[in-house]
Amino acid sequence: MTEPGPALDIATFRPETVYTIYIAATPEKVWQALTSAEFSRQYFFGFAIEADLRTGGAFIVRTPDGAEHISGEVIVCEPPHRLTITWDVNWPGLVEALGRTLVTYEIEQAGAAVRLTMTEAHERPLSDDILSGGRQGWPAILSSLKSLLETGKPLAVQMAPPERMLAALKAMGIGLS
Amino acid sequence: MDAVFKALSDASRRALLDRLHARNGQTLTELCDGLAMTRQAVTKHLAILEAANLVTTIRHGREKLHFLNPVPIHQIGERWIRKFERAKLVALGELKKRLEEGDD
Repeated sequence: MTEPGPALDIATFRPETVYTIYIAATPEKVWQALTSAEFSRQYFFGFAIEADLRTGGAFIVRTPDGAEHISGEVIVCEPPHRLTITWDVNWPGLVEALGRTLVTYEIEQAGAAVRLTMTEAHERPLSDDILSGGRQGWPAILSSLKSLLETGKPLAVQMAPPERMLAALKAMGIGLS
Repeated sequence: MDAVFKALSDASRRALLDRLHARNGQTLTELCDGLAMTRQAVTKHLAILEAANLVTTIRHGREKLHFLNPVPIHQIGERWIRKFERAKLVALGELKKRLEEGDD
């Protein structure tokens, strides 16, 4: 367990990647899919999300083998419309080198569908090489989530982290554990 | 999906997407800078791109920032490209890029 750090001033984080998708589902269903392992294992490369849904609660993402890939914290929790969490990947030295990451989901009713917007914001300016990981992954994750909620079946997307991101991290002394 | 293809059918709108691809999260003023288009024309094109969900805007402090949203293009890819082995297409795309860069 880590001690909670000083309160984050989320307004100082710069949004770097913003993706929007329309899903034929209710806001409640989309919220549930974004916050539960039962759903996330299906659309998020087998990763399990464990969220203690209150401000200051833990937000954990586990790899399929159970390792804690992301150890985050719930910053804003307004079900079923807005969730902001810290999204710090547990690779050794990563947070120290890159600063912290925030992910925000906004869920709005749009006619009979839901408009889901994911914003990835960063504490420090980062290169496109570093940002390429999220930029590659999120469209696949969100498309698969949409497919799962609309048809009951996720998309079978296979994906490895982009080479340019791994090379950029390696150059900063951050290696895959 | 009609809206996506209609939005992409215009060279000025593709140029705006190129600018966001080069640098994501720009204000309207930044996007207009150096373009041979009036601010009104850029606003109109951005509205069409936003309606097609190719551009997303968010408020950041006092600024309205524009972001390239590749999700609809990803969905087009999933529909028509995936079964034709993306890895090979990526390799061919890289080869084309490298060969063409060699010509510069």
